[in-house]
Amino acid sequence: MTPNPDIVFRASGLTKVYRNGALEVHALRGINFQARKGEFIVILGPSGSGKSTFLNIVGGLDTATAGEAWFADHQLTALNEKGLTQYRRDHVGFVFQFYNLVPSLTARENVQLVTEIARHPMTADEALALVGLSERADHFPAQLSGGEQQRVAIARAIAKNPEVLLCDEPTGALDSATGIKVLEALTQVNRAVGATTLVITHNAAIRDIADRVIRFADGRIVEESVNTTKKAASEVVW
Amino acid sequence: MVIAPLRRKVLRDLVRLWAQVLAIALVLAAGVATLILGNGAYSSLFEARARYYEQNRFADVFADVTRAPRALLAQIEEIEGVLDAEARILKLGLLDLSEMKEPGSVLFVTLPDSGKGLNQLHLRRGRLPDPQSAREVIIDDGFAKAHTLGPGDTLPVMMNGQQRKLLITGVALSPEFIYALGPGQMMPDPRRFGIVWVPRSSLEAAFDLEGAFSNVVLKLAPGADPNRVIEALDRLTAPYGGTGASPRKDQISHAFLDAELKQLSAMVKVLPPIFLLVAAMLVNMTLSRLITLEREQIGLLKAIGYSSRAVAQHYVEFVLLIAVVGILIGMAAGTWLGAGMAQMYARFFSFPYLVFTRNPQIYGLAAVITLASAIGGAVYAVSTVVRLPPAVAMAPPAPATYRQRMGWVRKLIRLKQPGVMVARHLFRWPLRTASSTLGVAMAVAILVASLWSFGSINYMIDITFFRSDRQDAQVVFAAPEPQRTLFAVRKMPGVLVAEPFRTVSSRISHRQLSKKLVIVGHPAGSQLSRVLGADLRPMALPDDGLILSEALADALDVRAGDLVTIDVLEGARPTVTLRVSGISLGFVGLSAAMDIGALNRLMGEDALVSGVNLMIDEGQSPAFYAAAKAAPKTELITITALMLSRFRQTLAENITVMITVYTSLATIIAVGVVYNFSRIALSEQGRELASLRVLGFTNREVAGVLFAELAVVVLLAQPIGWLIGYGIGLAMVAAFSSDLYRVPFVVGREVFATASLVVLAAALVSAFAIRGRINNLDMIEVLKTRE
Repeated sequence: MTPNPDIVFRASGLTKVYRNGALEVHALRGINFQARKGEFIVILGPSGSGKSTFLNIVGGLDTATAGEAWFADHQLTALNEKGLTQYRRDHVGFVFQFYNLVPSLTARENVQLVTEIARHPMTADEALALVGLSERADHFPAQLSGGEQQRVAIARAIAKNPEVLLCDEPTGALDSATGIKVLEALTQVNRAVGATTLVITHNAAIRDIADRVIRFADGRIVEESVNTTKKAASEVVW
Repeated sequence: MVIAPLRRKVLRDLVRLWAQVLAIALVLAAGVATLILGNGAYSSLFEARARYYEQNRFADVFADVTRAPRALLAQIEEIEGVLDAEARILKLGLLDLSEMKEPGSVLFVTLPDSGKGLNQLHLRRGRLPDPQSAREVIIDDGFAKAHTLGPGDTLPVMMNGQQRKLLITGVALSPEFIYALGPGQMMPDPRRFGIVWVPRSSLEAAFDLEGAFSNVVLKLAPGADPNRVIEALDRLTAPYGGTGASPRKDQISHAFLDAELKQLSAMVKVLPPIFLLVAAMLVNMTLSRLITLEREQIGLLKAIGYSSRAVAQHYVEFVLLIAVVGILIGMAAGTWLGAGMAQMYARFFSFPYLVFTRNPQIYGLAAVITLASAIGGAVYAVSTVVRLPPAVAMAPPAPATYRQRMGWVRKLIRLKQPGVMVARHLFRWPLRTASSTLGVAMAVAILVASLWSFGSINYMIDITFFRSDRQDAQVVFAAPEPQRTLFAVRKMPGVLVAEPFRTVSSRISHRQLSKKLVIVGHPAGSQLSRVLGADLRPMALPDDGLILSEALADALDVRAGDLVTIDVLEGARPTVTLRVSGISLGFVGLSAAMDIGALNRLMGEDALVSGVNLMIDEGQSPAFYAAAKAAPKTELITITALMLSRFRQTLAENITVMITVYTSLATIIAVGVVYNFSRIALSEQGRELASLRVLGFTNREVAGVLFAELAVVVLLAQPIGWLIGYGIGLAMVAAFSSDLYRVPFVVGREVFATASLVVLAAALVSAFAIRGRINNLDMIEVLKTRE
């Protein structure tokens, strides 16, 4: 297989089975997937459909039971714990529903946490400026609103100039006005950094800002659609 | 039996948190064990001694005379307050055992009157001698064991310069020689010093003391003032060479037991409080965290109708169970250590019976104190449970607030963000950081406060035997001899250098203070036995005036240049006033030194010598021993090397035990504090650390964040521990110093280093114990849940 340099992610037959005693739970049942460089993909699906498991495997947080997943020329499914850590460190930015900021560090310091160990980072202040939080750089998480905390998390995720940005329910804990601000930040950094962005959401309205939309159900991709009329985040309503 | 659900939760919590529970329980157990050990050993020793004294009628006052007629005894008995008096003969003799090349000595003591006599014997084996027999004797148990002698065996000795073969009829113990320290010895050595009880008539004949005595012991009526009796006694014995009576507290065996009791009570004041304090702190730390984690459950329990009291009681029960585990372990350990201690005492002290106490009061007291300290540690945490309203409890806690501080420090040391996390977290809970640091510091302190003594003892030996009293051997004459005896000694085989000395029993007084001791006269420029100044250089002996040891100067409140009054207690018994020309260094006993010529002039006597210090050619020492033993004037031969090796051997036997015990105790504290601190830090920061893993930090880097926090606490604790340990050591020196000995306080760098190494090793082990938990942090779980 000659890899197309434009393809960042490839997965084929990706399967994940959780075993709990005698009980087997099939979280992923043979996923085939590709993502192009800079693409903004929204992943939809009900709870338990396997979308988070998929994101965790391509993000190097979890391992597959069968099948292959590739990031550029790294075979993720062949990497050990150490290799996966290095992969996350060098290439991946994460944004989660509950922000996962370090409470003892200010916004700037939370971003610096990543810039200190990354290979080609931007400065923390640049990253914060990208999400519109330059003014709040010296505040601790406890002093920021939920939306602000999530934007710090985005700044922290993109500060390393990652090739991929993985977001699991980034607006899940936010009201719609704040959620839209967060989405704006995401689309803006997607454009600015050129990172392939995968966003998991329950919120079907978000599909309008994507280049492509994928729907998961029962561990499989059941629908895939290319969005021809991509909207700006500010135009989305829910 | 139905177990209430909350009770079941207590038990499950104990099982779930077993490692932390055990760590705390062990610290409590160490407190219990040291309490039981200290109080138990004290009461065992104190009561065994009191019972022994009572049953065997141990005397209250002791006095030596040169030779007093037995008729004097009636007058002594007349002294107000005297219940009973017994006239005895006490004389030193030399051992003449063929299998023993080195010299040894025996103390002959008049066999006490059976039934109503004082210092009665406790017969272990055999029978009492026939009072009319000239050969039959009883020997002491330790001596008998050291030479495997028993009833029916003969004992060859030099008695008043004559070879005698005594017949042993029995083996006994005496309350007078519980700690049987031979003259000129540093430690009991039953092989080279024994007690021989001889019937009165036989002893009178052997020492030409028919109808006379050389020692008298008194039993006082209850409530009698020993000082007034001693005054009266001294007046009566003065014409007969009385060297001044001593009360029981100055009797050697009694005083050494007192010193041991004093050490035990000091230990009880230091060690258990440290453990109980650290345990209380650990209880507070761990329970506070548990309560924080169970905040919502507490709210729920209250919401469904459990009273605050019931919920609080639940947590108190949790702590009480930990305390009970600790108490049980501690009692077992205390009993076991106590039995070991009793065995160790049996090596130094001869009691008819000495068992470690089973007094339930001692065990009960330890349990109560421990429960109290555990509950004391729980009070604050439990009070937060009581105060928490259910509605507030069920909402998530307010996020921890952090502040930026000491920015200049950061600029100075350029901390990276994980370092900032560590610093802020430590500052966020200053009390916990401080108490954990103090806890680890206590582990260091325990080691510093126990390990210093070995270096100090070595220093004491070095100064005493290699710089001050450098003689290989000392020969003491039965009575002062003219100079020609010195020349005779010089001619003995193997003698390289011989320097005479003179000893004179005196009472030295300054203002209201006085001490009875022996003034030693040295020849000018003597090379063997030297008087050292504080700078360790030999001091020149003045033509008149005298030099007092530091301990004596302190006891008399004397400074160089002061005048002291000297009442000589022998010969013509002159009283003179002399100037103290200097203060000398000295660790064993009280001492006063003069120029030998000046001392003889003071006595108004010719040049007399009491004994000779010698340097011996090692190759010829057996020949020298034989010659010295055969010399008729010799009363005692002391060999420095033998005394030292006995001392060092005993020290080496104890050092391993002591180091093991103290290292274990310190390790228990260090592990308890470090393990609990890390578990709590991990529990609080687990989410943050898992987030770091997600961000691409390696396991090692994440563990580094937690370990850095630990490292700060442990490293900060070192100098604090050194200081506290130094302070405890200093207090111990002050508490232990007595007229018998005074321990120099020398703490070498190796003491601090060893203490720190032990504690650092314990900290490392406990850190590694939680390494697995860090490696297994669940990254995915942490992302799905709100804190």
